[in-house]
Amino acid sequence: MQPKTVIPLLAFLMFSFNGAATQANLDAQSPTEVLAMRQPVLVKLFGAGIGNLDSYGTGVIVSKDGHVLTVWNHLVSTGFLTAVTADGQKFSVEAIGTSSEHDLAVLKLKARPEDVFPFIDLSKSIDLEVGASVYGFSNMFRVASGSEPVSVVHGVIAARVPLDATQGRWKFPVKSPVWLIDAITNNSGAAGGLLTDVQGTPVGLIGREIRHDSSRTWVNYAVPLTTLRPIVDSILSGKKVESKSPDAAADIPMISDRQLTSRFGLTMLPNVVDRTPAFVDSVASNSLAEKSGLKRSDLILLVNDDVITSVTDFQQRLATFRAGQRVTLTVNRNEELVAIELRVP
Amino acid sequence: MANQTSLPGFGSLRIPITHALSACLVCAFALFSSTRVLAQQSLVDRQTARIETIKRISPSVVCVMASSGEGGGSGVLISADGYAISNYHVTSGSGSFMKCGLNNGKLYDGVIVGIDPTGDVALVQLQGRTDFDFAEQGDSDQVRAGDEVMALGNPFLLASDFTPTVTYGIASGVRRYQYPANTFLEYTDCIQIDASINPGNSGGPLFDIGGRWIGINGRASFEKRGRVNSGAAYAISVNQVKLFIDHLKCGLIVDHGVADFTVETSSDGDVVVSQVSELSDAWRRGLRPRAKVLSFAGRSLRSANDFQNILGIFPEGTRLPLVWRDKDGNHEATIRLRPLHAFQKAPELPEERKPKQEKNPDEPDEDSETKGATPEQLPAELKSLFIARDGFCNFHFNEVRQKEILQPLKDRVAGKAESTAAWQVGLAGSGTDSGLTGELAIGPGVAGLKLNGTPYLQNASDPKPEEEPPQFPGLLTAMLQLRKLLSGDAAAFTDQLAMGSTLHLPLRQTVQVLVTREGLRTCRWYFSDASPLPVGMDLEYSQGIDEARLLFEDWQDRGGAVFPGRIGVISGANEELKWLTTGEVTVK
Repeated sequence: MQPKTVIPLLAFLMFSFNGAATQANLDAQSPTEVLAMRQPVLVKLFGAGIGNLDSYGTGVIVSKDGHVLTVWNHLVSTGFLTAVTADGQKFSVEAIGTSSEHDLAVLKLKARPEDVFPFIDLSKSIDLEVGASVYGFSNMFRVASGSEPVSVVHGVIAARVPLDATQGRWKFPVKSPVWLIDAITNNSGAAGGLLTDVQGTPVGLIGREIRHDSSRTWVNYAVPLTTLRPIVDSILSGKKVESKSPDAAADIPMISDRQLTSRFGLTMLPNVVDRTPAFVDSVASNSLAEKSGLKRSDLILLVNDDVITSVTDFQQRLATFRAGQRVTLTVNRNEELVAIELRVP
Repeated sequence: MANQTSLPGFGSLRIPITHALSACLVCAFALFSSTRVLAQQSLVDRQTARIETIKRISPSVVCVMASSGEGGGSGVLISADGYAISNYHVTSGSGSFMKCGLNNGKLYDGVIVGIDPTGDVALVQLQGRTDFDFAEQGDSDQVRAGDEVMALGNPFLLASDFTPTVTYGIASGVRRYQYPANTFLEYTDCIQIDASINPGNSGGPLFDIGGRWIGINGRASFEKRGRVNSGAAYAISVNQVKLFIDHLKCGLIVDHGVADFTVETSSDGDVVVSQVSELSDAWRRGLRPRAKVLSFAGRSLRSANDFQNILGIFPEGTRLPLVWRDKDGNHEATIRLRPLHAFQKAPELPEERKPKQEKNPDEPDEDSETKGATPEQLPAELKSLFIARDGFCNFHFNEVRQKEILQPLKDRVAGKAESTAAWQVGLAGSGTDSGLTGELAIGPGVAGLKLNGTPYLQNASDPKPEEEPPQFPGLLTAMLQLRKLLSGDAAAFTDQLAMGSTLHLPLRQTVQVLVTREGLRTCRWYFSDASPLPVGMDLEYSQGIDEARLLFEDWQDRGGAVFPGRIGVISGANEELKWLTTGEVTVK
């Protein structure tokens, strides 16, 4: 028997001598109370939306200092995130660790050192049996704003299985089993929400809007917190966790998003759908990109004489140049073609 | 997780209880079998109770269809005489007459009565019976996130015998605000649910687990799956609907209101006034930009959304209390909501909001011949239930309501409504005004008052606010209007209409409202069930000037006329109520 089950079981045995007391004990945590109890650990995330992808999401506070666990999706990778806590306070947010293998990101609310946040203790998270009742907390469809409580759906754990699913060309990376839920959690902005049992015990991190590979249906899933806990722990303890771009394509060498930012000062629209056009999303000030004359919203059409069909194409083409080589980028800016020359750093 | 399985939670009902038990707990249950019996009993009890509840509430659920049998949505009966609430976006496609199916398998004729396009609510009356089963009204302000709910209706029009489909879920959130996206339909203070809501559910009732009606299911967050359940649907709260039912029964196109000021959420999380119209009640009571709004309609505010949520649940014309704080401290006043849209005709819905013919997805398409069938010829008694008129949904119901208000009044004043003579009556102040005495004269065309020797004269055809006695502003103009009302002459006013009911402040009682118009003057007459004569009136006679607000008590035959024994006048920055006592009326 797991140590964690001893106390509830003992309590159960003790109360069982008196049926009325047992009933009173169980009734003490009504669904309404459980929901109200869990709301303070949820944060509403707001960031940059791209194309059909939303500019909002959900996160769960996992430390008193304001560390937030969420899914490593476009919201995190594009940056500029703000978080609104349950009391309506707004914080800017930095990503302090990510893991593409687990599709998770750990963020930190930029709070004052003396701020103490309500949080879920991941060491108390549990695994459930198939059939157990669950609640899913998330700011799906951005229904809640400010201090309003996030939406809660109910359901049961339908299965615990490895998940073969994709979002555009992105493949769901977690190899270990996930919870499938019979509630609809596959909704805009729900990713990063919290799955709990009916007593509010943390169980899973609500996943993305993805489709199952074979059925092509929208999958309602959550990654078990017991799976994510070691990764979060190592991020929180300051250990380096690999953070390969979640959008990296296979095989062909390419300049990664990070390299584009660090070497060129260039951020492209994330490659979230097949053949995302090569739009410049931002240009860091004083960077090579800015000095060369690149601007936000430029659409890169040519690298030298090669037609660029997508952002991946652009990153792969750029990788074929050595440092010091001259490259001409032809961009579409407000329906005009502009030639930009730069020397590969 | 040990005791979770024995919790009588929703999920436990779906699975054999032992599935979720560890071996240890099975032992525990075996040892203390009485507990196990208790837990199971509780589950069985709950299920039995739910089945009984659904059986009890199903007869109140209506399947609403166009008279050609096309389209469709749901509704709920609210009274034995056949009134049923649905969504505006359901009835708007059905025309003035529709077919309404009940779970007894029978089809009834329905006539449109009133609509609230902004709130997406419509009132229909089913014909042919006076003993319809109807839903018990709940209190949606008591609903909390996590409460179990049941949605009844006819999604996909699956039930050809009109047995409602039941879907079950929890309240996912309460007091939600849903913007009027691409349209005028605005959901304020609504209940968000995770019960399945699909096309055809629209207009159907949401019940709490005890079978009390708490909302109207009308909207859902639709996205990539198309227009089917997404786990996020919204029900108009029954408490909002209750505030509109009497208006709807008057055959109106009911409007929602706007305040004459705007608010924003400050960076400190306060709700702060940003702009105030200088012609408004609020401005005259001293509300200025940067004041912090503490409460509105008796509810405290956490955000500008909260303000919108409260504003949205009231019909236009409602007077509501507002509390705010500025550098001089806290202030309280009442403000009247102005019309939001002032629709003269039932507004068109955007194409995607119109109800579409829903088919059972498992059935092949019907023959196209059945579509576009001409509606059957309506019998005359049904036709007589509908009168089209600009500004009204169905003027017939307004006429009926007007008559219900005015006939008892006419009967009461019969023989005392001589139309040309002047009425003279003595007045005496009370309280701090106890030294005041006056003589009031009310003729058909002119009213005069001599108050402690100072004369005031007001003309009926073109009253001037500055001619009113400053102690009792609006009294003379109001008396001229009262005289007209008491004449019992239908032609006395340019226009009159029944306008539903409202919670009267400061009377704090629900009163029926009759509106009369003459020139620029609009009077709201308030009637309680206890008397055929009005308990009060508010008179708007010039923009930017306070309404004359009067209360009437102790109506008696006084000399030659039926006249109130006490007249209250509300005026001034503090909305002070001053009472005047009247003597015998002399008719000259």
